[in-house]
Amino acid sequence: MTLSQQILQYLITGVTIGTIYALIGMGFNIIYNSTEIINFAQGEFVMLGGLITVSSMQILHLPLPLAALVSVIGVAIIGTLLNLAAIRPVKDPNPITLIIITIGASIFIRGISSLLWGKEPYPIPAFSGEDPIAFFGAVIQPQSLWVMGIALVIVLGFRQFFGKTITGKAMMASAFQPRAAKLVGIDTRFMVLISFALSGLVGAAAGIVIAPMSMTQYDIGVMMGLKGFCAAIIGGLGHFWGVVVGGIALGVLESLGAGLISSGYKDAIAFGILLLMLFFRPQGILGRTKGDRV
Amino acid sequence: MSNKVLLNTVGLSKDFGGVKALRELDIEVRKGLIQAVIGPNGAGKTTLFNVISGVIEPTGGSVFFQGEEITDLPTHMIADRGLTRTFQNLQLFTDMTVLENVMVGMHRISKGGFFASAFKTPWVLAEERRIREESTECLRFVGMEEHSATVAGSLPFGNQRILELARGLASRPELLMLDEPAAGLNTRETQDLAQLIIRIKDSGVTVLLVEHDMELVMSISDHVTVIDQGHKIAEGDPDSIRNDENVLKAYLGEE
Amino acid sequence: MRILSFVRSPYAGFLLFTAVLAVLPPLLTNDYYLNVLIFIGIHAIIAIGLDLLLGYTGQISLGHAAFFGLGAYITGVLSAKASWPPIAGLVVALVGVGILAYIIGIPTLKLHGHYLAMATLGFGIIVQIFFKELGFLTGGPSGLVGIQDMTIFGYEFDSDLKYYYLVSVSLLLTLLLSINVVQSRVGRALKAIHGSEVASSVLGINVSRYKVGIFVLSALYAALAGWLYSHYMTFVSPSSFGFMFSIKLVTMVVIGSLGSIWGAIFGAALLTSMPEFLHVFANYETTVFGFILVTVMVFMPRGLLRGLEDIVLRVFKSLSDQEAAKGP
Repeated sequence: MTLSQQILQYLITGVTIGTIYALIGMGFNIIYNSTEIINFAQGEFVMLGGLITVSSMQILHLPLPLAALVSVIGVAIIGTLLNLAAIRPVKDPNPITLIIITIGASIFIRGISSLLWGKEPYPIPAFSGEDPIAFFGAVIQPQSLWVMGIALVIVLGFRQFFGKTITGKAMMASAFQPRAAKLVGIDTRFMVLISFALSGLVGAAAGIVIAPMSMTQYDIGVMMGLKGFCAAIIGGLGHFWGVVVGGIALGVLESLGAGLISSGYKDAIAFGILLLMLFFRPQGILGRTKGDRV
Repeated sequence: MSNKVLLNTVGLSKDFGGVKALRELDIEVRKGLIQAVIGPNGAGKTTLFNVISGVIEPTGGSVFFQGEEITDLPTHMIADRGLTRTFQNLQLFTDMTVLENVMVGMHRISKGGFFASAFKTPWVLAEERRIREESTECLRFVGMEEHSATVAGSLPFGNQRILELARGLASRPELLMLDEPAAGLNTRETQDLAQLIIRIKDSGVTVLLVEHDMELVMSISDHVTVIDQGHKIAEGDPDSIRNDENVLKAYLGEE
Repeated sequence: MRILSFVRSPYAGFLLFTAVLAVLPPLLTNDYYLNVLIFIGIHAIIAIGLDLLLGYTGQISLGHAAFFGLGAYITGVLSAKASWPPIAGLVVALVGVGILAYIIGIPTLKLHGHYLAMATLGFGIIVQIFFKELGFLTGGPSGLVGIQDMTIFGYEFDSDLKYYYLVSVSLLLTLLLSINVVQSRVGRALKAIHGSEVASSVLGINVSRYKVGIFVLSALYAALAGWLYSHYMTFVSPSSFGFMFSIKLVTMVVIGSLGSIWGAIFGAALLTSMPEFLHVFANYETTVFGFILVTVMVFMPRGLLRGLEDIVLRVFKSLSDQEAAKGP
């Protein structure tokens, strides 16, 4: 492969993984937009998506699409349980307390997963085979196309949901002005519950669709969650298209860095980018500066 | 007869995106007087305070304090020069006691850095005692000495307002800016506040206040500046302001 | 009166604590417990520093394991590769960590809330990756061996008992320093910053200088602890200094009780000894840890020490109410 072909290959890998980061980041945004909470357990939804699919296939003998559906619904339910058990009962929701609660929840979920599934990696078969497709001297895995395709469907679906449906708009209203939302009859607590469910759904989807390429395991949630959060911050926390831009940018830069500089420093590059963004443009690529009112 | 100019702004402007909160505002505050800035809602009064005290940056113009330009100085350095303020929506240290709040107020006129504090040098201990005594004195001045050990967050609202004022006083400012100090106070409390502000003036501190309560403003101010939509529309002593056409128009709208 | 105010001051607690630490060893039934106490002491030093940053000043750090690791690795590398005496390693570690904390602290502490948390988290992860990747220096993922035993000016700390006293003295010194700081004008300024940054600055407090200052101080505490750890274990590996340990440190402070130095020590003791109790259930350790974390934060968000304090006060109050109700 020539250098330019290599770079193209890194770009393809980068866009693929970046799309996953964007999906995970979207999960963060959904909860953040409705509650200003950062759910550090988001990554565990990704992990559970993959592992529950594996079990549905191995134990319930379901075909992949059905197993995936079971998994996505299951994780959505787990998301709501997280909200009910760990968030709703909190009487004084200050940032430090909530950060620690969601971190604690992620540790708990990870612990349970290690008991249920052990610590080994599990494979999921690629959706439509593994014959690589030639692309200008580089190759695209068919699974990459699945990743991008499913992500596109989800992104457009959410755009429709939040922008055009009553429920979606109600959720945004609950975030912006909870008191006003309650006054017009929106059940804000229910909106928060839905946001956790949706977040679980999109996290699981991300986990399932990337598993054929990178195996799934009880502890992949940590890094996945953190990178997804990075994607959200880089693009602008809470910003819909921001997380897409942020995720892909993160994935591409990380991939180029790993390929051209060193793969051991891959994560250092990703978090280095995060630090640079936080220091020089904390509102993210597409975010707007907020003024504080005194 | 003219007191010295303590603070003045020249062409001060502040844009918030599309909203022009301050437009080429020129105001003067003279030493030793109680001066008020009034104006209808949204006139830019709190923005004016925020710009002067360094909490936000102006988009144009300058601010001078005691002859020195302070426009680009960070907030704590402005405070260091003897200018402090209170807040419309109280910024008390709610988890600290009343006395501790006032002791923090004395920060700029006290000494005691990290090393001296960590190793408890004798002079730092003496300084601590002085801070404690003078803070107690300050509480006595405003009539809150009996609440010294109360946690600030559990005080009734009226007392909280007085506490924030005492805290500002503790820093022995040249100029004390009060942002709507009477907001939320009942008539009796407002009258007590008026007396307190007069006593503050008598102790040598210049007071600049932003207020909606007209009775309070008119009864204690030596000088009143009226602003509307970010610029000055009138100024003078309370009586002349009361009858000023432009002022009435601004408050009541065009006929 | 002076005696009474002394008894109620933290210095009385300090003397009591010193006495307890001094007489503890002979009371132990098993020398293994000395080992646990040494780790409790090391963690307590970090926890106290972190409490000054998080509990008093209100700034969250999810990356403090990095400073602990840097302290351990700097002295470890100098000891193992260049045979430098531990004392020299300590000096270099403190200076190095201090400078790094200052440089990273300035931009980081301009951030707030989740952004601050993520910046410190990112920093911690980057440092750990450097521990893994700079193999020629650090020994790579399998760790650094050959760190010398602790000797200070010729005196060898060649038994757990001697090390226990070394750690105890270090803990007591940092504790005393911290009590002094907290009770001073500096301590008030830190608490004020936590209460309201804008009010603090209009009273003349240079908020960013204080925040960076306390960040550096807490990093130095962690580096000191890392030095003690390094020469005790004579072996360090990157896996000890990751995200999970940073979380454990924050947990110690929060569960102990934010803004309480004794709480930090209590939290360190609780969380360091917990794996010992859960030893039988090794597989369940993570699950239980996560469960405890969530439960305590939901039901006792002010931390265990304050939560217990509240319960005790409520019991006393209801007892005295009952007494009053009984009549004269």
